[in-house]
Amino acid sequence: MNKKASPAPLELGEIAVQLMQAQASETDALTELRDALGHCVDGEAGSASSPSVKRLVSAAKAKLDGLLSGEAADAEQALAAAVRLACLATSPEEPKAGEGDLEWEAAAPSPTSVAPSLAPGKPTLVPPDPDLELIGEFLTEANEHVVNAEAALLTLEQQPDDAAAVNTVFRAFHTVKGVSSMLGMTALAELAHHAESLLARIRDGEVRCTGVYANLCLRGIDLLKATLDAVQAQLKGQDAKLPAGYAELVHALQNPEAEAVAREREAAPAAAPPPAAAPPPAVAPPPAVAPLPEPGPVRAVLSAAAAPLAVGPAAAASGPVPVAALAAAPPSIEGEAPARAATSSAASQGDETSVRVRTDRLDRLIDMVGELVIAHSMLAADPRNDVSRDPELSRKVGHAGKIVRELQDMSMSLRMVPLRPTFQKLTRIVRDVAKKSDKLIQFVSTGDDTEIDRNMVDVIAEPLIHMVRNAADHGVESTAARVAAGKSPTGTVRLAAYHSGGSVVIDLSDDGGGLDRDRILAKATQKGLVDPNKSLSESEIYQLIFLPGFSTTENVTDISGRGVGMDVVRRNIEQLKGRIEITSERGKGTVFSIRLPLTLAITDGMIVRVGSERYIIPTVNIAVNFRPDASQVSTVAGRGELILLRGELIPLFRLHQLFKVSGAVTEVTRGLVVVLRDGVGSCGLLVDELLGQQQVVAKSLGAGVGKVAAVSGGAILGDGRVGLILDPGSLVTLAKESRAGRPQPEAVRHGVSPEPSPMVQA
Amino acid sequence: MSSQLSTLEPGAALSGKYLTFFLGAEEYGIAILKVREIIGIVPVTPVPGTPSFMQGVINLRGKIIPVIDLRAKFGMPTQAASRETCIIVVRRLDLELGIVVDAVSEVRNVAAAETDAMLDLGGEISAEYFLGISKADGKVRLLLDIDRILSTEDVLQLAKR
Repeated sequence: MNKKASPAPLELGEIAVQLMQAQASETDALTELRDALGHCVDGEAGSASSPSVKRLVSAAKAKLDGLLSGEAADAEQALAAAVRLACLATSPEEPKAGEGDLEWEAAAPSPTSVAPSLAPGKPTLVPPDPDLELIGEFLTEANEHVVNAEAALLTLEQQPDDAAAVNTVFRAFHTVKGVSSMLGMTALAELAHHAESLLARIRDGEVRCTGVYANLCLRGIDLLKATLDAVQAQLKGQDAKLPAGYAELVHALQNPEAEAVAREREAAPAAAPPPAAAPPPAVAPPPAVAPLPEPGPVRAVLSAAAAPLAVGPAAAASGPVPVAALAAAPPSIEGEAPARAATSSAASQGDETSVRVRTDRLDRLIDMVGELVIAHSMLAADPRNDVSRDPELSRKVGHAGKIVRELQDMSMSLRMVPLRPTFQKLTRIVRDVAKKSDKLIQFVSTGDDTEIDRNMVDVIAEPLIHMVRNAADHGVESTAARVAAGKSPTGTVRLAAYHSGGSVVIDLSDDGGGLDRDRILAKATQKGLVDPNKSLSESEIYQLIFLPGFSTTENVTDISGRGVGMDVVRRNIEQLKGRIEITSERGKGTVFSIRLPLTLAITDGMIVRVGSERYIIPTVNIAVNFRPDASQVSTVAGRGELILLRGELIPLFRLHQLFKVSGAVTEVTRGLVVVLRDGVGSCGLLVDELLGQQQVVAKSLGAGVGKVAAVSGGAILGDGRVGLILDPGSLVTLAKESRAGRPQPEAVRHGVSPEPSPMVQA
Repeated sequence: MSSQLSTLEPGAALSGKYLTFFLGAEEYGIAILKVREIIGIVPVTPVPGTPSFMQGVINLRGKIIPVIDLRAKFGMPTQAASRETCIIVVRRLDLELGIVVDAVSEVRNVAAAETDAMLDLGGEISAEYFLGISKADGKVRLLLDIDRILSTEDVLQLAKR
């Protein structure tokens, strides 16, 4: 809408899209769009070709006229109707012949009329001669739409009247329908079509997106996702089938009212729980519930579509009650929901101003900028660049430096993506868990615009899903237990992301029962995971739940359940060079605090010198470093060395021995011991000295070198030389191997750590 | 320029432009199409646990690439870098790497008529690294099969990820 009347006439489709995004209050934009619509009808260059399209366009224009002149009683409704008409006009299918007689302003002209020109019979996932490139692009786009739509639907559950959210969902189905039918993927097209019809009714205010309707929409999104996956599988050559429940749901979408009846009957004996309550009351008294025929006669379609809600005995009995229940069910979320709605609509608008760039190009650009920074710093460090000698040159170099730094910041930000899509998935999980376990849980997320490196998103998503599910399933107590404990019956799972000291912190908290440290300790002792005589601090006890052995016990789940797969959670987080900490208070809840580096490309490293070589040790892995006394060092069997630090014995390895570097300090007391921590244990590493701390860009050592034990990659240091980044995990393995008497370089090379380090982008 | 071709039609497949360089007093040639660029010697970072001919890694304009020492590869005594020492950057598929040579000489047009098939010299000299020999102007120039050098067992193992 920011486009001023452009010389080229707008395409009908473009008008429809712009209309969908327009607000009733934006009169300027609407006037423009109305004129554009007029152009479509009248102008000979107009894109409205067939009479039926012309009619639709005129109707849309009339709606806008009414709105702009202030005649329309409800501006929003008039706009919505105009949008719908414009969308109908853009649909690739020809409207049915009989529709000419229709009164288009009728209360509920669901776009069923543009129904399937789809081939009858079994819907196809992928046409026999697919255009792979187009379908690939479409799948990417469709998946994005699905994510946005899902988020919007969840917003709608809290705020059934959020027009922006409805439009987001509508647009998702609409786009999928249009493109998939063009590409001949009738399975997707049919599903999207029926879902769109339902959404159109919601958008027109005919029904509210609650209860059965909301569930149907969510199931529609799920099925759409599954169908998209099936298409993807088919394209990969697998023999994919339509997802289970396809036919059933498509049928239900066509006739939500019948679905509602069925659901109500199911629910009736079991005194329906409030959130899953019956649909809201009808707009008008219902005519008979008629089954929705396929692309049948329009009159019948209309009456069925207008049929508001099922009037099963249960529904009648629970008449107006559910609305109240629904309003009451998610209390105190009001402050949150509008904010979310706003961000989601902002996000969908943001999509249109973005450009897709291949990641390898992006990485190359970032490389080059990094190189520019180095080249510039070499220039700046040149002795001829001295203020006293040549102030002019010095000023110019300084100026270039500012630009280079800004460029570097910007290039780094290119890789960053917001956490929003990840958080949106979690909203859904909490909802599902809450429904399944019959709890009242409100999910509050803040800071979902916090950005992290795009390569990290996938790695962090899995642990988060796991932890959020745990928090909802086991962290938050049952409603009865909460009430008994004098808490609000609605539990809260809170997810907050924010920047702190060069890291991204994600806090996941619940207000449930908290961790039972005594039982965790008892369990761990019983499992032989801890020494019973050792006294552990509170946080050490909580860390026990991350031990692999701990996770396999199932009866731990009833403490507070965080047993299953927490070792995987910690592994993923450590893979990202992050840390996880737990604080918990009995009866009050638990907080998991995940601290991640901003980006994987940049490693905060300590540069150490060994002989004439320099190595980079990731700072997150360094516990402490110190110059040892002779008294602290002892040898075992003449070979192994131990170092005593604050009463703790740590194995000591000499980096110069491991890497066969000559000219290094061999006397322990003259070197420096860096104590590494990799989650499993600690070890000391003897180096000559520390050269300082620096942020480095981690890179692969190149295809020719492959994987090297104890080295996770390389980085270009300030002087342009390559420094190797040490991988503490495999370094310890390597050290132990060499101590086991296999110090040969060959053994070194093949003693590779089992997993590729995520730090290096190949 | 595969070795199969050269056996079918001796000489003909060998003609073309070559970048020649020295290792000690010996002159070698690499097909010019394999050469990406030539850079002066830069500090090389050794990588622990790699074979001895793998001299280390260097920074090629922000990209880290491995560098092999051709002298070590051929079992010749190593020699300290001089002003003439160069790194020839060659590329094979997605494997990009540098080759340290004593000095580059020239780009030469090698005619089919002046070439001979590689002789079997016996002993430790592996003929498999060479495409053939050029003998123009009374000088012997050994034409390297760079693909072979890069694809021999050791390097392949290194490239395995």
